[in-house]
Amino acid sequence: MSVLEGGKISGRQFMAVLTMVRLVPVTLVFSMVTSASNPQDAWIASIISGVVAIPFAMLIARLSLKFPEKTIIEYSQIILGPVLGKLVGLVFLWFSIQTSVNIIRALGEAYAIAIMPETPIQTFMIMLAIMSCYAARSGLEVLSRLGEDTLFIVGFIFLVACVLPYNAMRLENLLPVLAKGMSSLIPPVVASLGYYSQFIMIGMLVPYLAKPEEATKYAIYAVLISGFLTTAGCVSVVAALGTTANSWTLPLFSLARLISLGEFFERIEAGIMAAWTLSTGIKLALFLWAISVGIAQLFNLKRYEPLVFPLAAVFIPLALVAFESMVDLEDYLSKADAVAAVIIAVAVIALLYVGLGVRSFLFPGKEKYR
Amino acid sequence: MVFRALSRLVLRMVPRRQRSAIPSQRGSDPQISLTGKLSKNLRENESLIRDTFGNSSDLVIRKLRFGSGPGIAMLVVHIDGLVDSALISDAVIRPIAVTPEFFEMDKQSSARVRDRIRDGLISVSDISEVSDKSDFLTAIAEGKCGIIIDGSPDAFVCDIGGFEMRNLEEPMNEVVIRGPREGFCEVLRVNTSLLRRRIRSPRLWIEEFTVGRISRTQVEIVYLKGIADEKLVREARERIRRIDIDSIQESGQLEEYIEDAPYSPFPTILRTERPDRVVGGLLEGRIAILTDGTPFALIVPVTITMFLTSPDDYFERSFIASAERLIRHTSFFVGLFLPSLYVAVTTFHYEMLPTTLVIAIAAQHEGIPFPAVFEAFLMEVSFEILREAAVRLPNVFGPAISVVGVLILGEAAVRAGLASSVMIIIVALTAIASFVTPIFSLSVAVRLLRFPMIFLAGSLGLFGVVFGFSIMAIHLASLRSFGIPYLAPIAPIVSSDQKDVFVRLPWWKLDTRPEFTGKRDVRRQARGLKPHPPEPRRKQAPSSQRKKRSR
Repeated sequence: MSVLEGGKISGRQFMAVLTMVRLVPVTLVFSMVTSASNPQDAWIASIISGVVAIPFAMLIARLSLKFPEKTIIEYSQIILGPVLGKLVGLVFLWFSIQTSVNIIRALGEAYAIAIMPETPIQTFMIMLAIMSCYAARSGLEVLSRLGEDTLFIVGFIFLVACVLPYNAMRLENLLPVLAKGMSSLIPPVVASLGYYSQFIMIGMLVPYLAKPEEATKYAIYAVLISGFLTTAGCVSVVAALGTTANSWTLPLFSLARLISLGEFFERIEAGIMAAWTLSTGIKLALFLWAISVGIAQLFNLKRYEPLVFPLAAVFIPLALVAFESMVDLEDYLSKADAVAAVIIAVAVIALLYVGLGVRSFLFPGKEKYR
Repeated sequence: MVFRALSRLVLRMVPRRQRSAIPSQRGSDPQISLTGKLSKNLRENESLIRDTFGNSSDLVIRKLRFGSGPGIAMLVVHIDGLVDSALISDAVIRPIAVTPEFFEMDKQSSARVRDRIRDGLISVSDISEVSDKSDFLTAIAEGKCGIIIDGSPDAFVCDIGGFEMRNLEEPMNEVVIRGPREGFCEVLRVNTSLLRRRIRSPRLWIEEFTVGRISRTQVEIVYLKGIADEKLVREARERIRRIDIDSIQESGQLEEYIEDAPYSPFPTILRTERPDRVVGGLLEGRIAILTDGTPFALIVPVTITMFLTSPDDYFERSFIASAERLIRHTSFFVGLFLPSLYVAVTTFHYEMLPTTLVIAIAAQHEGIPFPAVFEAFLMEVSFEILREAAVRLPNVFGPAISVVGVLILGEAAVRAGLASSVMIIIVALTAIASFVTPIFSLSVAVRLLRFPMIFLAGSLGLFGVVFGFSIMAIHLASLRSFGIPYLAPIAPIVSSDQKDVFVRLPWWKLDTRPEFTGKRDVRRQARGLKPHPPEPRRKQAPSSQRKKRSR
């Protein structure tokens, strides 16, 4: 089948966009912290979820490497046959659409709550969509080139926001460790894994890698980088905001407000805001691109670009009606969405591996699908 | 034999730095792997010369034939523009043509012809005999006149000189503090000779095209064979060939026919009046396009960072050059974003400023009837009008304009309550910052994009600024110039090219050509050229000093 997109991306760019996939919810809504009943242990949850995510990312990458020229939409049809395969493709698309809708609404809410409360939320959502559509239409190559630079900017601002409020931080806020037992770690771990399961996007990216064999390595790097940044964020947020950190709506933003260096270098929320917008824009662009390419491949269309704008136009009303408020959105993200995402991702990967096993049992000697 | 020995002796006496043209030396150009002697066959020699020079349009080969019967043939070779052709016809061609002795020569008498020339037939003081292919070709590229006689293994190379320095002026809008002070002029051949004088190698290939059905304008593409990507050269050739127009008067016209993104505000082709900038581009594997009738040469492909470099970055010491580079990059962003950031902050995000500053700004803004965004528009537009007027007016009126600018824009606008003085400061700073960009075409783009940015900031605050920035970033990342990503060493990040983007590392660290254009011949210098103080004397005297003493 024809590869709809001509561009090739480097391993580092692949890693950058994947990191962005995990980092975006952290820069917006810190559901690691907000979903935890005792936020002191969020950092432990972050490490655990990172450790669990590594084999998960490896499994997806290994699977995709068996078909280095095909996307997950295409090879699921090879493995599972046209009907079941298309169904898996549809589930993948549905999952990605839900994620896009979530991030559109999250960015809109964040702006409407924290920065410009009098401006209607639609403004931000539409502008974000326009931005991401433009990037998605420009293609994966452009998108990931920007992702590479954005990772630097976002990572830098993120670290600055985590380190500089040091005079407001009390490390004893992190005590006691595991006060409510191991079971209290389950909600934040699941919330975090919900985002890591978006790494199923690897299945769409591998065929566009210049060197597909590097996919596993860079996917692991992506987990490590995003895991490190998330853990650092967890520690700083809880140390600075105290044990009530889980009741803040936008913890990282509040964290940035605490920064004050020499009574001059303060109020760097603008930086956090820019990091939000950039990273969300890249992630949404990636998802818009993946969904349109996925639809085009599922229905044998020749081009994916015409799908981008209509898709975004559908996402905005969806994002408006899907949630009532920021609280509703956060609740959904950290509970229902996370559980559903983990189940979907695990089910899809398991199904594909089982299908692969059955195929190699039925048709031995045809393991190579190139 | 005697000559070889002599030449070896001469070589030893010439200091190393001047020897670079002689191929057998260290530091010679490895691409000219033409070893061996010149052929006795004239036709073979001619095709050798043509091939080595890529049949460049400024290569002149004059074939003379004289004597009885089939007679004896001779080639007179030189590069147009480097050698005075009037001198060649007077001093070389005429003596040969009018010597009665030559009338009865035939093919067997080549030795006699050679002796005759050596003995003083040609009235040039500096004439020498060479037999190596590479010696001969290098001499031609260096601006000497070559004479090859049919049937003779040796050729003559004479230094006609005659390269008169024309009155070239320093380019007005690409001023450097340190660096050559000459710019291109309107005559194409002079411009190519300026390049030939800087790159004295047969690898500098020049291809000629005629564009314009009526004007028949000469357009030439110049590149370094073996460094420039062949695909790129082919692409440039094709883009120029497909132009079908009645006349081309300036390279700006050409630019619009061959650029990659015709609707982008950003220039994807660099125009310059400076030969040193063109040479720098050629050595990085780029292509120059020269047009007759204009001093502006085009360089393709380009990246946006090239517009923020100035030739003196490479001539100044690296520490200072890097500081200037950083200032230039900063002012690029200042010129683009400062007014919009100011408008965004004072309209929507007062809380981001320190309290005392907020009070100061608010107090100034008290009596002003406009919102900040309109104020910014007003001041920016009036500044643009002033700037345009200053360009068009004769120089005599320059001071008048600046007085009007200072008084009316600065003082009176504030007094009349049309603008706050902070806004004046912002506009002035922005204006100065936009003049820092060394290449005009990019600074124009920046100036124009400022207006939509102010509008976005005035309507959506910082979100608008971030939105504008992102759209611009996406646009820039999607641009390509002749197939090369426009944001090249920044997006995609090329770590080996970071040495020459925001800072300029010392020359001995700039050891590779850019990833996207210089792949064919990546290394541009030997390793380990970092200078270091001499080793302590008591161990061993440095070898060069020892040699000097022995002489």
